[in-house]
Amino acid sequence: MPDKKSGIFLIIAVILAVLITAMLLMPGDQKRTVVVYTSVDQVYSEPVFRDFENQTGIQVLPVYDVEATKTTGLATRLVAEKTRPRADVFWSGEFGQTIVLKNEGVLAAYYSPSASDIPEQFRDKEGFWTGFGGRARIFLVNTDLLAPSRYPHSLHDMLDEKYPAKTIGIAYPMFGTTSTHAAALYSFLGQEKARAFFASLNNRSVRVVDGNSVVRDLVADGQLAYGLTDTDDACGAIESGRNVTIIIPDQGPGEMGTLVIPNTVALIRDSPHPAEAKVFIDYLLEKKQESAMVSSGWIQIPVREVSARSPCINSTGIVTMPVGYQDVYTSLQTAQKDLIEIFIR
Amino acid sequence: MAVSPFLKRIRTGTHPEDLVCSLVAGIAFLLLLSPLLGLLADLVPALLAGSPDIIAPMSLPSRRLGLLLASIGLSAGVAGTGILVGVFFISALFSLQQRLLAAILILLLALAGIPPYIHALTWSEFFILAGGVVDGFPATGWAVSFWVELMALLPLSVFLVWIAFASVDIQLIDAARLAHPDLSVLTRVILPLASPALGAAFGFVFLICCTDYSVPSLFGADVYALDIFAQFSASGSAAQALLYALPLLLVTFCVMLACRSGIRSLAQTPRRFAARFGNPLSFPRWFSILQTGAAAVIVMQVVVLFSGLLLAVGSPGAFMASALMAKNEILYSLLTVVLVIFISLPFSYAIAHELKRPGIRGAAAWLIVLLPLAVPAPLVGIGLITAGNIPVLSALYPALFMPAIVAVVRFAPLAAIVLFVQLRFIDPMLFDAAAVFGRNQRDVLTRIHLPLAAPGLVVSAGILAALTLAELGSTLIVAPPGHATLTMRIYNYLHYGAAADVAGLCLLITLLTLCTGSFTILAFRLFSRHRDFTIGGQGP
Repeated sequence: MPDKKSGIFLIIAVILAVLITAMLLMPGDQKRTVVVYTSVDQVYSEPVFRDFENQTGIQVLPVYDVEATKTTGLATRLVAEKTRPRADVFWSGEFGQTIVLKNEGVLAAYYSPSASDIPEQFRDKEGFWTGFGGRARIFLVNTDLLAPSRYPHSLHDMLDEKYPAKTIGIAYPMFGTTSTHAAALYSFLGQEKARAFFASLNNRSVRVVDGNSVVRDLVADGQLAYGLTDTDDACGAIESGRNVTIIIPDQGPGEMGTLVIPNTVALIRDSPHPAEAKVFIDYLLEKKQESAMVSSGWIQIPVREVSARSPCINSTGIVTMPVGYQDVYTSLQTAQKDLIEIFIR
Repeated sequence: MAVSPFLKRIRTGTHPEDLVCSLVAGIAFLLLLSPLLGLLADLVPALLAGSPDIIAPMSLPSRRLGLLLASIGLSAGVAGTGILVGVFFISALFSLQQRLLAAILILLLALAGIPPYIHALTWSEFFILAGGVVDGFPATGWAVSFWVELMALLPLSVFLVWIAFASVDIQLIDAARLAHPDLSVLTRVILPLASPALGAAFGFVFLICCTDYSVPSLFGADVYALDIFAQFSASGSAAQALLYALPLLLVTFCVMLACRSGIRSLAQTPRRFAARFGNPLSFPRWFSILQTGAAAVIVMQVVVLFSGLLLAVGSPGAFMASALMAKNEILYSLLTVVLVIFISLPFSYAIAHELKRPGIRGAAAWLIVLLPLAVPAPLVGIGLITAGNIPVLSALYPALFMPAIVAVVRFAPLAAIVLFVQLRFIDPMLFDAAAVFGRNQRDVLTRIHLPLAAPGLVVSAGILAALTLAELGSTLIVAPPGHATLTMRIYNYLHYGAAADVAGLCLLITLLTLCTGSFTILAFRLFSRHRDFTIGGQGP
C-alpha cells in the first residue's frame, strides 16, 4: 500500500511539474511587446489590441480593470509600481485617474503626431496625456414607466417630488465616472451647493447602487423609472432592445449642460518598452480609430469629425458642462471625502 | 499519555527534518508578512512626516463606528445563521451513505468557488421575479443583504460544519446512543465535542463576510469594508487605507484569536468518512422539521443559483462559446490553482508544525498566521507590489506567478489551520517510532509523515482551489500583463452586461470546482482507507 501511494505522489508531482513547466514556457518577451493597462471594457478594447497587433506585429499584453474595483485598481497599481514600472501605456476610459497619475509622477510627456487634430481642451498642456472621444453622463429612462411628458430633463429633477425617490437610481458617487461627474458639479456649482445637492439626494433616499451598469440593469428591468449613467451603458441596453431611452440632461438655455468624459491615453515614465508604447499611442489616437470605436459602441461623443455615427445617440449639438479637466481633478478629492460622509453611513 | 524519557529526548532533540521544517516555515512566514511589511514601508514615512491625512483615520467618529458595528452585526448574523443551518443539515446527513455524502460535499465545495457577487446577481433576479408576484417584496436593505450574503456563504458554512462534525469520534457517539436519546446525544455529546471546530468555522465565515462589501453594496447596505475601499479610492494611499482598516482588522483578529483557542483544544479522533453503522439518528418531530427547513434553504440556494445561471446561458452552444472564448483564462486559472496548492501545502505543513509549538514561538506563529487573514484583499496585492519594489526582493518578483503568490498569502493560513487540526489528531508516538526505526529521512517523510497528514492535505487542497478560483480583489492588482483569471473575465463581462457569457463562465467555474472537489474527495478516501493512525486508533 505505501508503495502504491508513493507512486501516486510521484504521478501528482510529475503532473505538477509539467503544468508549472507549461506556465514557465508561456510566451515571454521574445517578440516586440507593449504592456497596456486599461480601464476600458475588455469587450471594446480587445478588438483594438488585435487590430494593432495585426497592423504592427507588436504584441499587446493588456491588464484590464473591472468595475468592481471602481476604476481605482489600475491607477493604484501604477502608483505602487512607480519605482519599477511594468506598464508602458495607460489607456483610461476617463480623465480623473490619469491626472492623479500625472501628479504622482507616474507619467512621461509625449506629444503624439496623431493628436494634432484633437482640440487643445482635450490635451494636457505639458503633454502628459491626450484625450479623445468619450462618453457623456445621461439619464436612462424606462419608457414603460414614464410617458415622454414626464421624462426628466435636469439633474435637479432627481430632487423633484413628482418622481418617487425609490424609482430614481444613481451609482455610488465616490467611485468611477459618477465620482468624476460629482467632482465636475463641485467645480461648476461650488462646494456648498454641490454638497447640498448630494445631501438632498441622500435624504430623499434615492436608490444608490453599486455601479453604472447596475443603474442600467435596474432601469432596463423596470425596477427604476430612470437613472443617471454613462452613454456606453445606456447604449448597451438600447441595443439589447430594452424599452429605454436616453435623455441628455440640462440642455436647455442657461442650463449647465452635461459632462462629457473623454478617453485618455498616457505614456508611463521609464516604461520597459517606450518605443512600442509610442507606436501604440500614435495608433490609438488616429482619427480612424476614434471612428472605429464609435462604431463599436465604446465612444458616443467623438472629439473630431469622424465618419461613424453612434447608433443610439445623436451627439451633434450636445451642450457640455463648461468645466476644465484640471478643475474637475482639483475638486475630486474634496468631493469624494464629502460624499463618503454623506452616502456611506 | 506517559512519555518515556527516551522518547522525550527524541522529541526535543534537533533533527535535520526539524531544521528543514523550520526553514520552510520561516520562508512561509516571511511571505505571509510581506504585504504588511510593504504597507508599513509606505506608512512609516507618512506617519513620521505627520501628514494630517494620515492622522485622520486614527479617530473613530460615530459614522465609522456605526458602520463597524453594522458590519460586525451582519457578519455575526450571517456566520451564526450559516453555522446553525449547517448544523441542522449535517445532523440530518449524519448517517447518510458515504457516496451520497461525498457527492453533496463536492457540490457544496463547488458552490463555494463561485464569487459571492454572482450569487448576489442570481438572487437579485429572483427578487425581481418575486417583486412581480408579491407587491412590496423587498429588493434592497439590510434584510436582503443578510439573506444574500448568507446564501453566498452557505455552501462554505455547511462544508465547514461537516468538518466540525467529522472531528467527533464516532465511537463516542455510538457509546452515548446506548444510554441516551439521539437529541441528547447531539446536544450533550456531538455539539460540545464539535464546538471548537464550529467556533473556527464561525470565525472563517465571519472573516469573509466582514471583508466583503460587494454583496451589501449591491443591495444598498453600507458596511465598514466599503468605507475602507472608498477612502482608498479617494486618497489612493494604501498606507492610509491600512489605517482605516485597522478597526476591522482588530475585530477580525480578535474573532480569529478566540477561534484559535477553540481549535487548539481539539482532541478528538477524525474519521470523516468512517462508515456509520446502525440506525440513523432519530430526532423529535420539531427537530426534524428544522432539519427539513435547513435542507430546503440549501436546496433553494442551489436551485436559484443554477436555474438563474442556466436560464441566462440559454443553450449548450452558448455555454460552449463562453468556454471557448475564455480558454486562455481557464488555462491560466487552472495553472494558478495548481501552483497555489503546490506552494501552499508544504508551507502550510511546516506552519502547522509551528502552530503546535507551546510558548511564545507558538503564539508568534498564530499571530503571523491570523494577521494576513484580516487584511483586505486589495491591500494584500498593493502590499506585495510595494514589497516587490524593495531592491533586494525585486529580482525575486515572480510577475507571472503573482496571482498564485497572493492566493498563497491569503489562503495558505487557512490550509495551515486545517493541517494543524489534522496533526493534532495523529498519535505523536508514531512520529517517535518513525524517528527511531525509520530507515532514512526520505522514508520517514514519504512513508510516515506525509501519508499521516494526507487527509488534511487533500481537504486543504480542495479549499485552496475553491477560494483561489473565486479570488478577485488582490489578483486584479497583481495579474501579469497578458494574463487573466476566469473570475477577472467574469467581472469584466459583468459591466458589459453580457449575461449569457457571465452565466456560462460561472457554470464553468462550478464545473472546475466540481472536478477539483471530486479529485479532493477521491484522494481523501484513498488516503483515509484502511487507516487509523489516530490517537487511540488501531493502525492499518
